[in-house]
Amino acid sequence: MEKTKLKNWLFGFMFTVILATSNAWSAQDEKNNPGFAWKDGAEIYAKICAYCHEAQVGPQIRNRDLPAAYIRAVVRNGNRAMPAFRPSEIDDESLVKLADFISKKEAQH
Amino acid sequence: MTSQYIALPKGVSEKNFDAAIRDFRKVLGDAAVLTSAEQLAPYIKTMMPVSDADHTPSAALLATTVEQIQKIVAICNQYKVPVWMISTGKNLGYGSAAPAERGQVVLDLKRMNRILEVDKDLAFALVEPGVTYQQLYDYIKEHKLGLWLSMPAPSAIAGPVGNTLDRGVGYTPYGEHFLFACGMEVVLANGEVLRTGMGSVPNSNTWQVFKWGYGPYLDGIFTQSNYGIVTKFGFWLMPEPPAFKPFVIQYQHEEDIVEIVETIRPLRISGVIPNAVVIAHALYEAPVKAKRSDYVSGPGSIPDEAVYRIMKDHKLGIWNVYAALYGTQEQIDVNWNIVTQAFTQSGKAKIMTEQEAGDDPAFAYRAKLMRGEMTLTEFSLYNWRGGGGSMWFAPVSQARGSETLKQMALTKQILAKYGLDYSGEFIVGMRDMHHIVDVLYDKTDPEQTKAAYQCFEELLTEFSARGYGTYRVNTAFMDKVAETYGPVQRNVHKILKKALDPNGILAPGKSGIR
Repeated sequence: MEKTKLKNWLFGFMFTVILATSNAWSAQDEKNNPGFAWKDGAEIYAKICAYCHEAQVGPQIRNRDLPAAYIRAVVRNGNRAMPAFRPSEIDDESLVKLADFISKKEAQH
Repeated sequence: MTSQYIALPKGVSEKNFDAAIRDFRKVLGDAAVLTSAEQLAPYIKTMMPVSDADHTPSAALLATTVEQIQKIVAICNQYKVPVWMISTGKNLGYGSAAPAERGQVVLDLKRMNRILEVDKDLAFALVEPGVTYQQLYDYIKEHKLGLWLSMPAPSAIAGPVGNTLDRGVGYTPYGEHFLFACGMEVVLANGEVLRTGMGSVPNSNTWQVFKWGYGPYLDGIFTQSNYGIVTKFGFWLMPEPPAFKPFVIQYQHEEDIVEIVETIRPLRISGVIPNAVVIAHALYEAPVKAKRSDYVSGPGSIPDEAVYRIMKDHKLGIWNVYAALYGTQEQIDVNWNIVTQAFTQSGKAKIMTEQEAGDDPAFAYRAKLMRGEMTLTEFSLYNWRGGGGSMWFAPVSQARGSETLKQMALTKQILAKYGLDYSGEFIVGMRDMHHIVDVLYDKTDPEQTKAAYQCFEELLTEFSARGYGTYRVNTAFMDKVAETYGPVQRNVHKILKKALDPNGILAPGKSGIR
């Protein structure tokens, strides 16, 4: 009796393990993994903007007193060679943080 | 009556579109269905020489799950509303995030950005469409997985799914990206979810390690196509080699490309040089170091004399061959001897390694690309003419010296006719070369924009007349390129489209397929 129980339990356990380790990604897996989200303005600046604006590809944009609203507009619309960035890439809330990061003087961070 | 939408899908009434939008909102929520001009602005800007109005979307949908996408395609079928799928949505110089046709709804998958698996031992990744190379790069570093990425020059802001599905290339030994793709999940137009290859076997753990599965290999039909929506994508990663040796070889005359290609081909086919070598013209590298306006003013293409001055001032060859060796130090030493022996024979080549060229900004960004490090320095190209105009002209060439010289000369001649410069490079496959030319123009100048359009059209016409096909093109010229591949292929594409997407809801016009 005990043996059968153990066997059943083991089978159930193994089945769960197989499901969990297989590549059968399910809707449940999607819900358990929330995906990527930006931490703060500094991170967005470093991982996107700096590759051009700190590399003599695009103009310097920090410490220039650029108004936050202007920065937000350029990010969303692009400007000549600069590509536009969609809210799916930089969400509205993160864009506010990014514009804030760029427009503040370095000493203020 | 004024429409509340900035555009409508072709053949769809506002009433029906309204109903579709209402249903999309039920699935995604109001915040993930964008319809206002302000919200859609980032989906409109392209670098192509056509009116933005031709590629203005009617809406954008920000989906995050497969289930949502299944519901979205059901709504699209009901109202005959077409969607244009994007992943990271960069595709700069190929159409950016804008749809192929005015009024299509952009299905933006950028928020599907989960890294589902990276296997250190088997060196593969399984990701969603919105994952960027930067995100994956950071993940690999954070988890100390010892794997390298291969990515195109817009590295940090682009992603492996979109790039590989459009059959883009990178610069490492894994540079021909689709060769290293392994397993896809695809939502079909009827809402069914297909996992290709071994992914169709319940509980299989070989989806990302064996490409072929059983029966016809299907992955190819979901690249450069509109037969399904890829929601998961597997691909192989390169184990970090113990040693890496990037180098550049410079030549001084355009005709030298014959010698370069004849020397490289056997080294590349035999695997002595394992990576996707680049043979970059001086004008492809010059923008990293020089300003065009310092050398030439007024209309017309840059004269050769000015190009030679740039080369002299900025230590560039007319051809700059960037390649690398990978492996143990012993392997690299052996192969380095073979490479230097091959290239020093004629006495024309100047060979430099990190020791001599490490501080050079062009060498530095090329070395990064060849080891899968993030850089956007190649965007310096866009400063050459300024004004944000760019189209990639991408004909395929044999890896044969005489052919590359012919293609270069023809391209340069047609560009000059329209006052544009030859900013070209060849990316070396084993037997082929992707001849990549950035047709740069000032989009704020209507005359130059018109010239760029006509120039691109002539390039496609003249190249196809000589039997040279184009491997990838921007969304304004997809029909023209499809035409060059002849009626039988177009018809087969169409038959597949009818079978898999009878209502034509998925990206009509992609690669000329409707």
